[in-house]
Amino acid sequence: MIQIQTYLDVADNSEARKLMCIRILGTGNQKYAATGNIIIAVVKEAIPNMFLKRSEVVRAVVACTRKGVKRRNRMFLGFDDNAAVIVNQEGNPKGTRIFCPVARELREYNFARIVSLAPEVL
Amino acid sequence: MRLEKCWFCSSTIYPGHGIQFVRNDAKIFRFCRSKCHKNFKMKRNPRKVKWTKAYRKLHGKELNKDATFELERRRNRPERYDRNVVQNTIKALKRIEEIRLKREEKFWENRMKVKKDKRADLEELKQNIHLVKAPVALQEDPSLALPKKMEKVKVKVEMREAGETRAMEE
Repeated sequence: MIQIQTYLDVADNSEARKLMCIRILGTGNQKYAATGNIIIAVVKEAIPNMFLKRSEVVRAVVACTRKGVKRRNRMFLGFDDNAAVIVNQEGNPKGTRIFCPVARELREYNFARIVSLAPEVL
Repeated sequence: MRLEKCWFCSSTIYPGHGIQFVRNDAKIFRFCRSKCHKNFKMKRNPRKVKWTKAYRKLHGKELNKDATFELERRRNRPERYDRNVVQNTIKALKRIEEIRLKREEKFWENRMKVKKDKRADLEELKQNIHLVKAPVALQEDPSLALPKKMEKVKVKVEMREAGETRAMEE
């Protein structure tokens, strides 16, 4: 359940470290983003002297949330922190590596590249 | 479908119950209910929490080392499907369950039996305290008498005094 002002960790090796959600993309006036939703976020913390700087606006895909996903078999799967992967306009990840386990739901949202990069898909 | 064990209390998690938590190192913790989940979030060690199976097995309250547990141990090697093996396994499952329950009952009985023997000893001591200390002494000094509540008593029977009283009686 990511909403506006939520801080998310960045799960890939792009230069940002922390993002703050400023908008949730999708139909209607969505209040919360879950795994697989694209959000617009502003970089709050970044590795110094790199291309991506603080207070830049980026798009990101929510990769895992503390609240977690609810599956068809009525299983709830929650993660350790709220993390996102920075993507470009087409939906391809900006980084080349992903550092946290992700939820299988990303595959259904057509983020196959992220799923393939992830160390563990649960 | 697989019936998992709760990480905290070791009870079976049936489908539709409980929460699974994935840590950043991709280790999955499964909980059967929010009680266990909350205890985990409090960073409690299940081996120190009295109502969990982990505690009970660690402290010898329940059967822990037994051959019947081998059946439920997780095997990571997939077996080739063989109809006969499956049928034999199903028969064995029921039988092993029976055996395990009987052994657990026996274990419990043995555990309770020890306490019963102690109770009998205390009872005997209370009734025959006059053999150890003279009744006159008990009347004069009531602090020597055993208190009403047996369980909290630790009676130090001094062997020297017993020898003396016996010599006097003789």
